Amino acid sequence: MVPWIDASCILIVFFSLTILATYRISGMIQVFAVQSFVLGLMPFFLHADALAGRDVLIALGTILLKAALVPYILFWAIRHVSMRSEVKPLIGFGTSIICGALLIAGAFWVSLSLKLPGKPGSDLIFPCFLATVLLGFLIMVTRTRAVTQVLGYLVMENGIFLFAVSLFDAMPILIEMGILLDIFVAVFIMAIVVNHINEEFERSPVSVSRSKMGET
Amino acid sequence: MDIKPMLMNVFLVFVHWSIVLLFSPLFIGVIAKVKAIFAGKAGPPVFQPYFDLAKLFRKHSVYSRTTTWVFRGAPIVSFAAVLVLSLVIPLGMFKAPVQFPGDLLLAVYILSLARFFMISAAMDTGLSLEGMGASREAFFSCLSELALFMNFITLALLAHNISLSRMIGADIPMSWRTFGPALLLVVASFFIVLLAENCRIPVDDPDTHLELTMVHEVMILEHSGVDLAYMLYAAAAKLFIFAGILVPIIIPVHTGHPVTESILFLGGTLGLAILVGIVESSMARLRLNRVRNLLLFSFALAFFGFVVTKWRG
Repeated sequence: MVPWIDASCILIVFFSLTILATYRISGMIQVFAVQSFVLGLMPFFLHADALAGRDVLIALGTILLKAALVPYILFWAIRHVSMRSEVKPLIGFGTSIICGALLIAGAFWVSLSLKLPGKPGSDLIFPCFLATVLLGFLIMVTRTRAVTQVLGYLVMENGIFLFAVSLFDAMPILIEMGILLDIFVAVFIMAIVVNHINEEFERSPVSVSRSKMGET
Repeated sequence: MDIKPMLMNVFLVFVHWSIVLLFSPLFIGVIAKVKAIFAGKAGPPVFQPYFDLAKLFRKHSVYSRTTTWVFRGAPIVSFAAVLVLSLVIPLGMFKAPVQFPGDLLLAVYILSLARFFMISAAMDTGLSLEGMGASREAFFSCLSELALFMNFITLALLAHNISLSRMIGADIPMSWRTFGPALLLVVASFFIVLLAENCRIPVDDPDTHLELTMVHEVMILEHSGVDLAYMLYAAAAKLFIFAGILVPIIIPVHTGHPVTESILFLGGTLGLAILVGIVESSMARLRLNRVRNLLLFSFALAFFGFVVTKWRG
């Protein structure tokens, strides 16, 4: 199953790069959902020879939570806040993409000198984990909106999950589930907070005075 | 000198050219048909590009008084350049008639030569719109060349050879099992390059005739009759050759049986035409300033493929 693991790892980094290069917030959320789906399939590829109950549990939990529920909440958030759907990056998209490519190269270069204990399914897992975390970090620091920053955080978490899932045997299932729950709660709180901020500012005098000054 | 192998070589060259000339309009026709089906229309027949070319070849060309020989030369040069380019590309069961180490550079520079003459001819007309198209073509091709070269470098690393025929041809046991991850990225990146170099939809809409947004179409706006036919034929052949590079990478099957390989190659090309048609039907043309980012993205993918290849050794 090594080719499948390799292909999934590459795809996960590919989707992170795609999220970095996407203009629309809804597009970013969709790509994130696909990335999480690929990530959710990883336990099947990693333990194809001896599929245990917890593999299925983790896979189903990941797919249900990250590929369905979290994107749904994010979509709910951007719909209710009625924000503009364009991503506003601090640095341009071209620069972001070049930075992303350099970060990927850096991740591979760093992982050349790192020797891991234990035996992961494929030698691509560690560099891809590092690349995804770095790309998520880049998304987080260069995108200005709350939802896009959360997306960067989620991509980062996907990277960590990729690593965790390959070290599956050394990690209790309870911790995995705890992490998944944390993510869920974080996204949920973000959606509520963004919604509340929006409601506050709609009523606040700041926006009124701004529109009077013609700035809207 | 023995005359027999030379005659054989000449024969092979003509076989190569006839494949390219015979099938390239069909490629365009299939794309148009797929787009029509997606739009819920019957669409023109698949062989319509042949009829169009035949019609244009029967016509006379009209030249503006401000144009010079550059304008008249460009169609011939671009057509000839594509024919020369086809000689270094293996097509199905037919190996490339010309192959030497480093011929990938020749391929890229022949493409540039054709482009240089197209751009010069567009400037030669003195029409401001053609100048705009020429400037865009030059800008986009700079970036797509970057991605193209990166892909070629990755393929050369995988094949341990810098001859195009050995990189993409039937000679090496390049399989998806060993090189899968890097090949996945190369294919994705090369597909974007294919769309950009041949002015297909996310980059340029071949059907539009809105002067302010088109790239390739505006450059051949002043050409007419036979000249236009050469230009269109060259564009179709270029698309077919790009498909000829991409298909053997996706389907690296070497049966050794000529008929099977030909069917696989032509089937793969047909599939690619359908894929291009689907992409064109499901996407809108990108805004001009975003094309740059698409090409940079393609470069980033190619670079990622390169990194993975180096990592795997």
